[in-house]
Amino acid sequence: MNKFNTNKKSCELNPQELNKLLVKYSKESKIDKWDVGATSSKDISVQVQQGNAKQLKGSQRNSMTLRVWNENNKVGITSTSDLTSEGVKKAMRGAIQACVFGNENDSPEFSTLAKSPLNEIYSSVSDTHTIDELLTILIKAEKQLINTHESIDSVPYNGLSESYMERIYLNSEGANRYMQLSQSSIYLYAKAEEINKKPRSAGGIRLNSNLDELQIDSCIKETSDKLISHLNYKSIETNKYLVCFSPEAFLQLISAFSSMFNARSIIDGLSLMNKDSLGSQISVANLNISDEGLHPENVGAFSFDGEGTPTQNIDLVTDGILTNLLHSEATARKFGVKPTGHAGLGAKVSVSPDWLVISKSGCELDKDANLSIKETRKEFILIDELSAIHSGVKASQGSFSLPFDGWIVNDGKRTSIEAATVAGDILKVLKDIVKIEKEQVVTHQGISPYVWVDNISITGEA
Amino acid sequence: MTNSLLTKQSDNLLFHTFDVTLKPQIEELLSIGKSAGADLIEIFLEKSDNISLLAEQDEISNVSPSFGIGAGIRVFLGKKDGFVSTNDLSKAGLLFALQQALGMLGLDICSKNKDKFAGLTNLKDFGIKKNNWLDQSPGLNESTLKLLEATKSLADKNKNLQVRRASYSRNWQEVLVAATDGVFARDIRLHQTVGINVIAQRDTKRSTSARRYGSSGNPDDLRNWEIEKSADDLNESAQKMLHADYVEAGQMPVVLANKFGGVIFHEACGHLLETTQLERGTSPFHDSINKQIANKAVSAVDEGLSNYAFGSISMDDEGMEPQNTLLIEDGILKKFLSDRAGSLRTGHPRTGSGRRQNFSFAAASRMRNTYIKQGNFSPDKLIESVDNGLYCKSMGGGSVGPTGQFNFSVEEGYLIKNGKLVKPVKGATLIGEAKEILPRISMCANDLDLAAGFCGSVSGSVNVTVGQPHIKVDSITVGGR
Repeated sequence: MNKFNTNKKSCELNPQELNKLLVKYSKESKIDKWDVGATSSKDISVQVQQGNAKQLKGSQRNSMTLRVWNENNKVGITSTSDLTSEGVKKAMRGAIQACVFGNENDSPEFSTLAKSPLNEIYSSVSDTHTIDELLTILIKAEKQLINTHESIDSVPYNGLSESYMERIYLNSEGANRYMQLSQSSIYLYAKAEEINKKPRSAGGIRLNSNLDELQIDSCIKETSDKLISHLNYKSIETNKYLVCFSPEAFLQLISAFSSMFNARSIIDGLSLMNKDSLGSQISVANLNISDEGLHPENVGAFSFDGEGTPTQNIDLVTDGILTNLLHSEATARKFGVKPTGHAGLGAKVSVSPDWLVISKSGCELDKDANLSIKETRKEFILIDELSAIHSGVKASQGSFSLPFDGWIVNDGKRTSIEAATVAGDILKVLKDIVKIEKEQVVTHQGISPYVWVDNISITGEA
Repeated sequence: MTNSLLTKQSDNLLFHTFDVTLKPQIEELLSIGKSAGADLIEIFLEKSDNISLLAEQDEISNVSPSFGIGAGIRVFLGKKDGFVSTNDLSKAGLLFALQQALGMLGLDICSKNKDKFAGLTNLKDFGIKKNNWLDQSPGLNESTLKLLEATKSLADKNKNLQVRRASYSRNWQEVLVAATDGVFARDIRLHQTVGINVIAQRDTKRSTSARRYGSSGNPDDLRNWEIEKSADDLNESAQKMLHADYVEAGQMPVVLANKFGGVIFHEACGHLLETTQLERGTSPFHDSINKQIANKAVSAVDEGLSNYAFGSISMDDEGMEPQNTLLIEDGILKKFLSDRAGSLRTGHPRTGSGRRQNFSFAAASRMRNTYIKQGNFSPDKLIESVDNGLYCKSMGGGSVGPTGQFNFSVEEGYLIKNGKLVKPVKGATLIGEAKEILPRISMCANDLDLAAGFCGSVSGSVNVTVGQPHIKVDSITVGGR
């Protein structure tokens, strides 16, 4: 019996020791102002192949980003994975050297909220498991999945992991943030092949803070159901179609264009929006988009961001109107608002969303209220999952051209599409929404209902 | 003495200097692992020292130095392996990691095994002539000035370049690999990349264009960067694409330009020739050795040897020297790319292709410099042979499915009518499947050229080169509006 697990006691960060060293080295270097973000994590993961262990992995990792301000208030940073006293000293030297190149026109400061009370989050630390236990669970899951249908021959991509993580933020004005969380995940990507047909594949993923509560059976069922539904496939004609985006696909699309809500991107000229866009109508009037890092379903939520600002929920689009942006300390200062808890840590601080939630507002009626994923009989394309987001999206232009997995649905009957891409402009898509279903679906990347859009270009191979 | 903030141990970092003096300590660790019953134990030690810089408009907006240390320990037992990575390079830290890796396979340090470890060979030091690379490469001051020169040059090209960005990364890595089969090797790697990108705007029209350059083992690379030439190329692309219409979707012949056009071969075919894919049973070419899988016009190689190429290596991350691996010859599949685990599990011999992003990944079979060999045609002949099709001058990224379905965006495309380029088009995506497309590559031009890129896969992101001459694909699905 092997005993490898993510025993949290063996990877505790020591904030007091780190603070003591930084106070000492900053004093020696005549640095009055500094802050630091550090993480320590321990992970185990297993992969299996046809009932046997394929690879077993474990890691103990730590990292730190140190930021210092010199006498001219220029900022320099250095990152390291060497959290020994020598490593911290070297990082201090590196950050001081980098200060010379700090941008005095856009210098970050401490977050005004770095010492504010933190909001309650639902992330928790659970009991750990041994790698043998993970292996047993995954072998069983693989077998169950293969047994669901005679055409499913393998699960070439799979993994079960458990991780434990600690995170701290400290600054020279006494901010002292600490949190810990655990997370487990499973992914199953299965392959099926029928005689004289192309191999087909489909996958599923589940996350939870506790391995014992990980919904493995539903992951198996989702993967199997999807894969079986893709066995009978056909090519479709290139045309404009009525399209229904699954919650996962619509979240993927909105996330790909999240620079619309990102104050950093707007300042840098990389967003479709500009400083005057706040208050403008960017979609149909019954669409709401919010970012809810504190949502109870957000597994792995952090209670503070890279600058120590508490994680917050924030409305971005209300009744189709752009109402708020995501901010770091520096962008918030430029816009005259408070930081929103979406910052990284750097000389130039990045901004990113936590957990997007899409919902239907009561502001306006749907353009086609009769559409329903369960009941619509007329032809439409159901897009289940988008691919190649990193290459098929031009976020600063608003255009996208993305391959997808999905079905053509006729009279309620789904037929898998062999290969196709969907193309369009995000602002047009947001204004061509004809129906937002009421029921919200929780996914591993956020929450959204099914969203229907008319007249979208699809390229098929027929 | 140093205090690890992670483990709270007080222990010298014995493994901070990577040289022959470590031999007895590494042998002791390997010996412990071997006597626990492992078939093979491999230790990978790494130090890194990196800088990344960003210039936006006419200012340096980000300077991010970083450095790190780490180790990856891999234990094989039969066809299984356990891998543990750690930042703790103290003797106690490495012993702990070894114990964990052994434990994953049910092995215990206390157990006794008669199969003793014979010891490491003499250190094969590929880094001995590279010890000064870090000092020879440009410092922060020189690098920032070069980037500002680039954004200034772009500003001079056209006032409608509203966003001008230039980035530079220098990644220095020192590695030491030791294994119970006697392998004991050290290397130093230096990779530099420069990226430039712009957004051009006129009225309500916007276009984006980007270029990336990269080298391996050339400290002077940034100094020798031809900024004016790059800025001209980027500006020309951005201006042309500003007036581009969306491409009409359909099946059509396509001519793919050289250099980064090779990304399609890399993604759609190259990955399927890695033993990593064979192990999973997802390569459609698993039983195709010595069989025709591509048009006779196609020969392709993967090698780690070209001077300064981004994917070149003196040794792979398992201590093996790289090879020039002929993958396809006249359309016939000749060889797969294999690492230690791949060889163990599939029987295909190792090719010096065991690569990993860093210590936290176990090595896997990965490409190095991969390209289609050049043919005899001039590039113009390929264009002239097309009545109605698409010329893909610059490719964006893309993705490939587990069984070879691929899709790639075209950054800069032109319609071909009656053998001539007629107008720029945007929004094109190439969609296909390797098995079906390879036989349709009917013409290869005589202008092979390479381009640097990053490839993400099971063992992380590694530096690679893609390449090809201009090639013609007789028919492919083009996604558009």
